[in-house]
Amino acid sequence: MDLLGQVLINGTLLGGLYAMMALGLALVWGVLNIVNLAHGAFIMLGAYVSLYLFTYLHIDPFLGLPITAAVMFAVGYCVQRGLLNLIVRAPMFNTLLITFGLEVVLTYLAQLAFSADFRTINPTYAGDSIVLGPVVLPLARLLAFGVAIALTVGMWLFLLHTKLGRAIRATAQNLVAARLYGVEPRHLYAVTFGIGIALAGAAGGLYGTVSQINPYIGAALTAKSFAISIIGGLDNPLGVIVGGLFLGILESLTALYIGPTYADVASFGVLVLVLIVRPTGLLGKAA
Amino acid sequence: MLKISGLSAALVAAAVAMSSGSAAAKDIVLGASVQLTGPVANTGRYYRDAYQLAVDKINEAGGVKVGNETYKLALKLYDNQSDVNLSVRQYTQLVSRDKVNFLLGPFASNFALADSAVSEKYQIPMVQGGGASDQIFARKFKYIFGTLAPASHYFGSTVEMMKGLDPAPKSVALLYADDAFDVSVAEGTRPKLKEAGFTLAMDERYSTNATDFNSLLSQVKSKNVDAVLVAGHETEILNFVRQAKSLAVAPKMYSFTVGVPSEDFRKALGKDADYAFGMTAWLPSADLKDQWFGDAAQFAAAFKAKFNYDPDYHAASGAADVEAVVKAVENAGTIDPVKVRDALSKVDFDSLYGRIAFNANGQIDLPQTVIQIQDGKLVAIQGVHGKIAAPKYPMPAWDAR
Repeated sequence: MDLLGQVLINGTLLGGLYAMMALGLALVWGVLNIVNLAHGAFIMLGAYVSLYLFTYLHIDPFLGLPITAAVMFAVGYCVQRGLLNLIVRAPMFNTLLITFGLEVVLTYLAQLAFSADFRTINPTYAGDSIVLGPVVLPLARLLAFGVAIALTVGMWLFLLHTKLGRAIRATAQNLVAARLYGVEPRHLYAVTFGIGIALAGAAGGLYGTVSQINPYIGAALTAKSFAISIIGGLDNPLGVIVGGLFLGILESLTALYIGPTYADVASFGVLVLVLIVRPTGLLGKAA
Repeated sequence: MLKISGLSAALVAAAVAMSSGSAAAKDIVLGASVQLTGPVANTGRYYRDAYQLAVDKINEAGGVKVGNETYKLALKLYDNQSDVNLSVRQYTQLVSRDKVNFLLGPFASNFALADSAVSEKYQIPMVQGGGASDQIFARKFKYIFGTLAPASHYFGSTVEMMKGLDPAPKSVALLYADDAFDVSVAEGTRPKLKEAGFTLAMDERYSTNATDFNSLLSQVKSKNVDAVLVAGHETEILNFVRQAKSLAVAPKMYSFTVGVPSEDFRKALGKDADYAFGMTAWLPSADLKDQWFGDAAQFAAAFKAKFNYDPDYHAASGAADVEAVVKAVENAGTIDPVKVRDALSKVDFDSLYGRIAFNANGQIDLPQTVIQIQDGKLVAIQGVHGKIAAPKYPMPAWDAR
């Protein structure tokens, strides 16, 4: 029973991190209709920004998250303005191609810049844990979970209750009407993409405190974020939390009861099931 | 007139072709496809750098004597981007278009397993020090030679050491990735553990490139396992150790097939790397005499000076591959690939990496030395001749370090 409890906690904490990783992808997909295949590469870049802030400026990775997010927002804004705005109304295939290309370029630039060495963001407390009776709560994962949930809920409130958030949602729903109300779409697209990439960057910072990083971690993270977005649905950020938690717990339980090799089989199996049975996601509005 | 000029032109062309042909014949070209980019680039670079260093050193020493002629070595290297399929295509290109004389290997068993089919088909010998899986050599291919010890023997010396530990570990968890190398390691280790009388409390296979070991670690803790043996890749091992710490899982010992000998591993983990056991078939000892480098210590110094990082056994085996080809060519007295293959099967010499003599399947067998990280340094614990240094055992709890 203790083991099950521990595995459920592991899965929940993992799920929180998953949700955080998927949040930016879901936002960009939901609003701009861009399936950003370079999403994982941006998570990787965020991890390196955090790593460098920690290593050279001694900024704690959690306290440094706003800086990481700001840097990545700027990167995201420029990428959208300079590159993705060109194809924003092109067929989906074009956006897939260009973001896939971007992923390759970013990955190889990262190898040039940072080498293929494996790195970790390792503050002194990274391995600490809180012991609650029979179960252990890893501190870094718990912090990452807290930040992930706070940012996701914050994202939801932002989209619902701020002017910019409303403008973003309006553009997603009806571009022409939004324009009539004075929304400047190119700027707004870039801001939205910037926010998505800032969230990816923050997720990268959190990821680096619990896992090793190297220039090649991106592709797998994109795939995972994609699955979570689909399972949770793109309608609202809370769906991403549900998707992330669901996947984290599912993978942990599969590893325990069936075997660790089947964790990925389970998560992508569920993805396929959701696509067949409920293509709008678990929390999405029924089609 | 026209005919004559045509003929003379043909003669000139033939002469040019011959001269360029003979110039090219002065080079023995070694071809390889190595992971210079992609997820395995971190280890692939050992091979690129070791091949280059060995080729340069042998050329400096005068090159390769074949009968009365002296040849220089040249290296033709492709980057397979950590992609097995691309690697196979590049080896095919090396033998069919680039017409290299001999092949050196890629890194990793799954690559060597696929690439050796190319050397076999085209009958060009490949000497490789990157693939250890028994599968590579079980097919009785004639043109593949390997300088890593068989994967199934990797944990042999560790199990030997475990028998002598006090307090003796009783239960063991064997965890391994689902690829050619690690499955071979597990298959070889299982009977050794049983023979030694350990209880196999966990025997779990996980997906290659897994990042989450929390479920496995929680089981290690809940089953109170004494010793954990992991056969996996460096990225996995790094995550494993970090997650073990954060979940406060501290068995009496853990040992890993890879990672521990490399500088990168110790850098990434810092103090958390302490107490980790590992293994290596090679340490830069001055006892390993070598014709070209003097000894293994001089090789290590030259390597570090040129590439600015410490070589590990991957690099040493890579350099030994070049030396094995050279020895075989000199013994054969020709660069004919079939004759050199026969000479390779008979080579027997001392290299910076150890004694190189291939068995009937084409693999050498070097015993693994058990190593441990103690206070950030790599310490040899137990070698072929028994104990070298005292292991730090049992591993203390994470918060008691």
